[in-house]
Amino acid sequence: MNLTATPRFGKGVKLRHDADGSMMLLVPEGALVLNPPAAAALELIDGRRTLEEIIAAVVERFDVAPQCAQDDLGDLFDRLSQRGFLT
Amino acid sequence: MRPLSLLCELTYRCNLQCPYCYNPLALQAYRDELPTAQWIAVLEEAAGLGVVQAHFSGGEPTLRRDLDALVGAASRSGLYTNLITQGTFLDDALLDELIANGLDHVQISIQAPEAKLAERIAGTDVHEKKLDALRRVSRRPVALTLNCVLHRLNHDTIEEVIAFAEGLQITRLELANVQFYGWAYRNRAALMPTLGQVRRGEEVVAAARERLRGAMEIIYVLPDYFGEFPKPCMNGWGTQFMTVTPNGYVLPCPAAAAIRDLKFENVRDRALGEIWHHSESFSRYRGTHWMPEPCRSCERREIDWGGCRCQAFLLTGDAAATDPACSLSADHHIVTSLREGAEETELVARRA
Repeated sequence: MNLTATPRFGKGVKLRHDADGSMMLLVPEGALVLNPPAAAALELIDGRRTLEEIIAAVVERFDVAPQCAQDDLGDLFDRLSQRGFLT
Repeated sequence: MRPLSLLCELTYRCNLQCPYCYNPLALQAYRDELPTAQWIAVLEEAAGLGVVQAHFSGGEPTLRRDLDALVGAASRSGLYTNLITQGTFLDDALLDELIANGLDHVQISIQAPEAKLAERIAGTDVHEKKLDALRRVSRRPVALTLNCVLHRLNHDTIEEVIAFAEGLQITRLELANVQFYGWAYRNRAALMPTLGQVRRGEEVVAAARERLRGAMEIIYVLPDYFGEFPKPCMNGWGTQFMTVTPNGYVLPCPAAAAIRDLKFENVRDRALGEIWHHSESFSRYRGTHWMPEPCRSCERREIDWGGCRCQAFLLTGDAAATDPACSLSADHHIVTSLREGAEETELVARRA
């Protein structure tokens, strides 16, 4: 996914917050358990923010190396969009 | 340990007669269906136990007049809701009602990519109705999966099924090789695909995945009798999944009622959480303690979980045996001979 893309969730894709603070991405017939940076990134998806802005916000909040965040989150967003969970 | 997924088999009634159905042969024994209030209690309790997904299936779940109320109750409890249907009753009014009640995802099955073969398999001509339902769901704000169960009669049409899905702009296609339980077990000799069909199917799917990358996700579930290792059935017995049958029995796997020496409990008699945590039926094959060799010392024991208990029972008479689908099983010859000896046999239509 391009850094300037403005992702939004596909049909039937939603984030779930559990009482213990953990988060999952619920998709048709499945659930993906999210680590805190991934959860934070997906929470910022609104169809307006760019992938670049989302990554920058996660870097600021979690004190991770920018390149590392860009690789990991870029990979996550690519996989989700290939499966049609992000458009 | 927390259950994640609840399969609600609302009814085993169905207007189709597919011989590959995994429902039990004794369909009449399940006519005493749970009332609405009891299903709602089950859904609410499941959410409290940590379940995140509710699947409404059957039989044909849209034959329950209270389906919208059940979807609504699940959704209000925070559950993601899946409807698994053959689509023939999914008109505008019902679909809108379900979506208004929070339905997240619809899976519609077809029997074949064209009407004639579909009718031969389903025993009735409903192909056009299914097409209507697919178009209706596509236009609405709900996720859609097209499902086609593959077996010897339709295995050579995979390419056409994919083209059919493309024509409808389907983004998620599930090609599920038949699993041999219930009616499908009864009909296994006639449904078993040939090795040639399975290998060609793999090639067709691989090419289509490449071509449709990003546009359509194709899920291809390999036939169990053709792999080297068994499927990790239910990701382990009593680990993530619960099924409630139309009359309230709680099963670790939708096919588990076949295991005749295991006693299952009913939500009319005992709370769902009690059954999940403390029943003999959920505990007996949970984890790895029950495993015989070669599973016990196998490095794949927490990958495959010994395969499928129901299949082990059906094929060997012992639910604790290694799944004969595993190439390391002492009983693997049962599967290879079924595979090789699959011959033309008359299909027996599913009916009550």
